[in-house]
Amino acid sequence: MNENKKKTSPVTVLIYVFFCLMSVLYLAPIIWVMLSSLKTRKELIKAPFAFPTDFQWENYTFAWTKGKLGVAMGNSFIVCVVTLLLTMLIGSMAAFAIGKMKWKLANASMTYILIGMMIPVHCVLIPLFVRFAKVGLSNSLIGIIIPYLTFSLPVTIFIMAGFFRSIPNELFESACIDGCSIYKMFFSIALPLSRTGLFVTGLMTFVNNWNELLLAMVFISDDMKKTLPVSLSKFVGPYQTNYAQMFAAIVIAIIPTIIVYSAFSNQIVDGLTQGAVKG
Amino acid sequence: MNKIFRNKTAIILFAGPALILFTVVLFIPICTSIYYSFCEYSTATRSYSFIGLKNFTDLAKDPVMHTALKNSLFFLVFSCVSQLIMGLVLAGLLTNINKGRNVFKNIIYLPCVLSSAALGLLWMFIFSEKLGINNLLKAIGIKGPLWMSDIKGFIILPMWVIAFVALWQYVGQSMMLYMAQISGIDKSLYEASYIDGCSKLQAFRYITLPLIKPMVGTAMSLNAIGSLKFFDLIFNMTDENALNHELDVLATHLYRQAFKFTKYGYASAIGVVLIILCLIATLVINKLFKVDEYER
Repeated sequence: MNENKKKTSPVTVLIYVFFCLMSVLYLAPIIWVMLSSLKTRKELIKAPFAFPTDFQWENYTFAWTKGKLGVAMGNSFIVCVVTLLLTMLIGSMAAFAIGKMKWKLANASMTYILIGMMIPVHCVLIPLFVRFAKVGLSNSLIGIIIPYLTFSLPVTIFIMAGFFRSIPNELFESACIDGCSIYKMFFSIALPLSRTGLFVTGLMTFVNNWNELLLAMVFISDDMKKTLPVSLSKFVGPYQTNYAQMFAAIVIAIIPTIIVYSAFSNQIVDGLTQGAVKG
Repeated sequence: MNKIFRNKTAIILFAGPALILFTVVLFIPICTSIYYSFCEYSTATRSYSFIGLKNFTDLAKDPVMHTALKNSLFFLVFSCVSQLIMGLVLAGLLTNINKGRNVFKNIIYLPCVLSSAALGLLWMFIFSEKLGINNLLKAIGIKGPLWMSDIKGFIILPMWVIAFVALWQYVGQSMMLYMAQISGIDKSLYEASYIDGCSKLQAFRYITLPLIKPMVGTAMSLNAIGSLKFFDLIFNMTDENALNHELDVLATHLYRQAFKFTKYGYASAIGVVLIILCLIATLVINKLFKVDEYER
């Protein structure tokens, strides 16, 4: 049995060594911040790289309540879930109309939407801020859900339109003969058959919006309505002195993503890559 | 059948919401933004007065703008080149090992899904003077440089540090894009080349590289636009008041002008410069990497 096995060449060994070093480069900062967050301030200054002698969980309670990270996480969650659901619904509806249905302006609409993918968010920040302040949408969660939704739509429509186009027309024809309406076709044929697309676009939408900083920072000034990246940036700054608590805050901000990622990493990596290729 | 797909009401119901949102939240604001860039905003009267090209001529004279533009272009070039090289190296090496490929891939991709605001803060501590990397260097007897506050040279040290962090965070994406493309290449091409006495390196140079050229274009335009939009990392890794704007990029300059000094017109002009740069970068990259689709 063993004779059939190829001997590992020195090159392969070198490659493994290289990737182990890379893994250290990637994991060490994250492990360091986790360990540091459990120390006292003195311990951290005296021996930044030692293992904590006594776990200081108070750092977390402090960051969660005083840093308002608990509230912020709730806000982030609401914003991201609402945006996700709306993007999926509105985006796939538009994608169905553009990809499957027959109308003169279908291609023009697609180009119009694709231009939106090029535009950096910074360029519409000022007009949106001014307009939203006028109609009373500034400083409210709805005020950031609307732009998030709009900026998530292009990729969603683009990818979903591809999925809908690949569904064979015969399926719809037979449904049509059975007296199925166009709305029912969309909800009970097109959508279920494009689950992969929904997963990929949903993932991209959620990750992007969960991490978005600039727009949320500009639009929200009320501490109770801030999202996670904003509250974190405010809590952790060069002027604060208790490093251990700030480390705890950083860990709170990244740990949910790390847990979800560890559980579904293969699907997430493949999904996001697929989305990036098509977008 | 065709009739049901031409149902006007359904089309309006399906495409309407997205198109309306798009027009109201994206298209009209872009036009407004371009209009604002020719105006001066007065906070007292809350009104805009048309001043022609003055914002742009001011921009051309603004020393902070020069620094910001220099830094942004540095990030653009650095991220395009470094992500291309590192992404290709990582993807090329990873496709050559079997055991543990997924583990390494997932580890390197991890920072891409994490918030760059949080990672920026984390790296700020690592490169800060009291904690982090300089302590490690001290232990082996080297006095580390002042990573985040050394301002000598054309491209100052903190910029290199931030560019490195950006590479660290996002190289996983380039790597995955190249890996996806490499795994799509027909294995028989490699077999044929090995029969002809090709080494692995030669196969990489003459088969893999030409075949993933379209993906290089895609990945690079993603990097280019991403690096021009660069905000979170810079904003969280730097102390905005300390360094006399040496660490500004276009996005932070725009943010400060608009939301610290309420110079909406001036900031909009920066935004217009940003859009133009994005367009130019995408066009140039598409031109450079435009290839006929190979048969795969």
